[in-house]
Amino acid sequence: MIRYVIRRLLQAIPLLFIISLLLFILMRNIGDPVATLGGRRMMRPEDRERLTRQLGLDKPLFVQYLYWLVGNDWTKVDLDGDGVAETQGPRLGVLRGEFGYSLMARGKLVTDLIWERLPNTLLLMVSAEVVIVLFSVAVGVYSALHQYSKIDNVVTAISFIGYSMPIFFLALASMYIFAILFKRWGLPYLPTVGMFDPEAGKTPLQVLQHMILPVFSISAISIAGYSRFVRATMLEAMDEDYVRTARAKGLPNRMVVFVHALKNASLPLVTIIGLDIPLLLGGAIVTERIFAWPGMGRLFLDHVSRADTPVVMGILMLISAAVIIFQILTDLVYAWLDPRIRYT
Amino acid sequence: MSVKKFLWTALLLTVVTSLVLSACGAPATEPAAEPTEAPAPPPTSPPPEVPPAEAKVLKMIFTQEPAALNPYYSNMWFELILHQIWNCWPWPSDDKNEAYPNLVTELPSTENGGISEDGLTITMNLRDDIVWSDGTPITSADFDFTYKMVMDPKNGVSSQNPYDKLTGLETPDERTVVMKFAEPFAPWKALFWRGMLPKHILEPVFEAEGTLDTAEWNLAPSVGCGPYVFAEWESGGFQRYVKNENYWLGAPKIDEIFIQFVPDDASQTAALIAGDADIGTFPPLTDVPALQDTGMNIMIQASGYNEGWFFNFRPEASPGMSDVRVRRAIAMGIDRDAINRDLLLGLTKAPATFWDAMPSYVPPGIKPWPYDPEAAKALLEEAGWTDKNGDGIREDAKGNKLTLVHGTTIRGIRQDVQAVAQQQLLEIGIDLQLMSQESDLFFGSYSDGAAVALGEVDIMEWSDAPYFPDPDTDYWLCDQLPTPDNPYGYNYFGCDEKLDKLSREQRTLMKAEERQAVVQEIVQYMYDNINWLGIYEDPDYWVVSSRLTGVKFSGVTPFYNIAEWDFTQ
Amino acid sequence: MATAEKSHFLDRTETIEVAALTPRQLVWLRFRRHKMAVFGLVLLSLLALYAVGGAFVFSEAFSNHTDTTLRLQPPSSEHPFGTDTVGRDILARSIYGGQISLLIGISAVVVEVVVGVLIGAIAGYYGGAIDNLLMRFTEAMFNIPQLFLLLVMAKFFAGKIPTIELLGRTFSGSVIIIILILGLTSWMYLARIVRADFLSLKEREFVLAARTIGTPNPAIIFQHILPNAVAPIIVSGTLSVANAIISEAYISFLGLGVQPPTATWGNMLEGAYNYIGTAPWLWFFPGIFIVLTVLSINFVGDGLRDALDPKGLVTGR
Repeated sequence: MIRYVIRRLLQAIPLLFIISLLLFILMRNIGDPVATLGGRRMMRPEDRERLTRQLGLDKPLFVQYLYWLVGNDWTKVDLDGDGVAETQGPRLGVLRGEFGYSLMARGKLVTDLIWERLPNTLLLMVSAEVVIVLFSVAVGVYSALHQYSKIDNVVTAISFIGYSMPIFFLALASMYIFAILFKRWGLPYLPTVGMFDPEAGKTPLQVLQHMILPVFSISAISIAGYSRFVRATMLEAMDEDYVRTARAKGLPNRMVVFVHALKNASLPLVTIIGLDIPLLLGGAIVTERIFAWPGMGRLFLDHVSRADTPVVMGILMLISAAVIIFQILTDLVYAWLDPRIRYT
Repeated sequence: MSVKKFLWTALLLTVVTSLVLSACGAPATEPAAEPTEAPAPPPTSPPPEVPPAEAKVLKMIFTQEPAALNPYYSNMWFELILHQIWNCWPWPSDDKNEAYPNLVTELPSTENGGISEDGLTITMNLRDDIVWSDGTPITSADFDFTYKMVMDPKNGVSSQNPYDKLTGLETPDERTVVMKFAEPFAPWKALFWRGMLPKHILEPVFEAEGTLDTAEWNLAPSVGCGPYVFAEWESGGFQRYVKNENYWLGAPKIDEIFIQFVPDDASQTAALIAGDADIGTFPPLTDVPALQDTGMNIMIQASGYNEGWFFNFRPEASPGMSDVRVRRAIAMGIDRDAINRDLLLGLTKAPATFWDAMPSYVPPGIKPWPYDPEAAKALLEEAGWTDKNGDGIREDAKGNKLTLVHGTTIRGIRQDVQAVAQQQLLEIGIDLQLMSQESDLFFGSYSDGAAVALGEVDIMEWSDAPYFPDPDTDYWLCDQLPTPDNPYGYNYFGCDEKLDKLSREQRTLMKAEERQAVVQEIVQYMYDNINWLGIYEDPDYWVVSSRLTGVKFSGVTPFYNIAEWDFTQ
Repeated sequence: MATAEKSHFLDRTETIEVAALTPRQLVWLRFRRHKMAVFGLVLLSLLALYAVGGAFVFSEAFSNHTDTTLRLQPPSSEHPFGTDTVGRDILARSIYGGQISLLIGISAVVVEVVVGVLIGAIAGYYGGAIDNLLMRFTEAMFNIPQLFLLLVMAKFFAGKIPTIELLGRTFSGSVIIIILILGLTSWMYLARIVRADFLSLKEREFVLAARTIGTPNPAIIFQHILPNAVAPIIVSGTLSVANAIISEAYISFLGLGVQPPTATWGNMLEGAYNYIGTAPWLWFFPGIFIVLTVLSINFVGDGLRDALDPKGLVTGR
């Protein structure tokens, strides 16, 4: 098993290299970061040319990738434009842990920027994932146990609708109903945007209140999808012989359902959820935009629109690495839950 | 233990962990403890964590968070306006956008000898009571240091303009700064010394690290020279400034300024209506009536910016663009009053010239081109564009269709203006093709193949200004045309010999009346030739609580009199 | 014809002769049994009719006609869905927007299927180093979440294609760009499925037979193996249309999708969160259309999956 893990990890390394190369090539043409550094006015050509040189953006693509990967403190750069490289480069490169400085917010380390936003996104997404798991299981199991009842049909119909909704539609609709309409009708209402109200400050209660609508929007759609999946696998499991045996043995229904059937039905669910978790790091870009939640999704959006390559690369590499790691973790959990699976 | 109980516990644990994580996530940056070389004046007491109960706190809301505070690394408006709070300019501008002396005893001019006869030397005399917030005096050495830092190639400053025009800077004594030029530079007042760097704090940093790019002072300026001192900055949250006890004009009336970063217009409006903040910036125009209903004042201050159409008369433009009559027809074919009335709720009007915010430079009698589709059609007919085949689009004698490309960035209001313009121009027989791109693609360089730089866009729309409050602008200079040798050149519009000559000339005239005459000539010429067409004004909009008194704004240095603001009791 | 014993208990026992059904008819029969799938098909047809047929009721010029004095008007008899920020009629725009959205959805899937099948088939059939290389590439792209990749690629290709005139309609070149990038970011899943199928199918006798008689490889791939692997492609492709429509809506909502004034259901929602309370009709109608379309496609895809998959028949749910 250990050998398997190590082998997978080793395989992940060239994969990450390929990903970084692919992304870096794409980064080349997504715009000129220096173009928008002029504030409200256009940037002067002399300054633009100087900054392009100082930020190392005038180098050919491959050299830029190299500097990004291994830094440039082992070579000299030309900072004063006379064509002679005389100053030692300051960067350490990704392989030594430095993702560089943001081009938009110069002087701010990429890792600092990401670290500031990461907890906000994790807060939202982990809560959403927990809500998703709980409710999908609950709804799915209930549906399976009461198959073809009226409630099951209603739930199925709602699930289909929820599953077909784009997330922002649900977000807009829920914001409209629970924040604006409720307020208009004098009912207790939820806040609209942001992480906390400016006056009240960043208290846990405020954050919790502001979290409700975004988490609801994110989870509702996934719950709709996963609950059907749980329902389907539960139905399959309930049909199996071992369930019949457990019932024949006289075990209470609850035990049959939860201990025997659910445990086996949850295997595929683990896989799906395991693969979902790293996507959470992306921070539901759209939801964060609508609810003005200061998370990593917004960071990505803001910086991609200004062609801030170091930050965008940092975020994407983080997510890709997380995806790979969680894939490995999921396989391990799967093997642990299902003793029939053996990895060599 | 049942599965359900386990799951509930897991949920609780996860939520709690996440909350703890987010609370510990971003530590607020305190002022950096930079080593100082100053002789030992008493240092200011550390800023209080919680202001005493009777402290007056001014709450502002910014919809964008500054990236850095160092004046020479900033270009964002939200960074620039903070200068008057914690930094200082030798001559800020007042609410009439006229400069007044702050660090200098008087503004250098030809009358008082501050500007030499040939215009090549400008001498500044500094006041003798000016000090940094830690008590160190501000001297000419700080000016010299600022100049050197801006020009040093190891510093990635935003702009070296106009310091690269200096041939030298001399400091004969602590109170005198002498700037030397190769040729007279009339816009000096608007462009020089937009912020000061403290030599005693930053010089050791520069010598230790070789650059100022990563200095802690950029993000947490421990020492400043404004009425307030930087206290705290929580990224993604807020900034705090406390009053500067060592301010040479006396301590300000309000004790503390608290700036909240709210990334969304809707929350800003909600917070202002709820009374959670005293100052708001750039509210969406549709929210203005609601804000006024709650008793907040909307103050509008011209800042030189106008949203307008830049016309392309380069050889690469579509056929027809180089003909003045076609451009005039376009000007008369757009109902700009309707745009201002309906899309901007009548809060602005169409500017007649690029310099409308500086009326002294606009020749009297210039009014915006009227909306007259019939006259526009007549002009097009006269210019040889007729619709022979009845498809609604005019062609010229050679059969080229009058198809023009209109480009702008992806802001909603601009795309709305595009849609309206497309339709109105169709009525006079012009086919307007629309394109919109994100600004970093839109303003890409010639070597990036950006359409605007290549001259493929006939009408370009965005909001811009001259070097306000100075009328200088170099957008139309012939040597700024983008070419393979000058890929970043930003004259996307074209080279007109007369315009180029006049533009260069006005820059060297140090005498006010001479300069005014030449600038008026430029303005008139551009108006007649329609090189630029104003769509709507783009002033600064401020939302001010009625609790505040003494509030005035400048279009150049908005918070110039913030030391005098106070709360009514 | 067999006769059966008539007895007291077995009243009516007959055998009926049934003509053998073709696979296609079998699939259709199974599909019809799913009420939801049929409902979805009907709904989809209605939506397509709305988008295409509506063009005969409202002209394209009308859908682009701005009148700033009529901006942001609530639904009325004049404008059943209200007007937008420049006074355009939302009903007409939703018709023409629907055309583009559906066009994008279907074309993107065509691109996706072409790329995915090609890569999966080649990787699965040839195996070895080619398989390794292609699969590493697939995995690499698969590991980057689609929305991120979409945003980056949208900027990469931005502004490269000018306005297009097609079938009497003019629309922005960004439509082609969106189709391309949607297709290029979603083929990975399909490639994997196709490869898995090919890996197992290429060991079968009919392939061996074809090879023995000297059939060239491309013919084996496309004429022999592919028709047997078609079921998961159809199902995956159908569901991908829904995914494509939603993804287009996402990136248009974020401002990087199809550029105005060409309407799509997605970019009609752009910036709608600024007017969420004051003009809910701005986001409600386009949103509903998206939901209904995706819903019907999901129903149809679900039905197709059960119809094409014999195992589903055995468990009979």
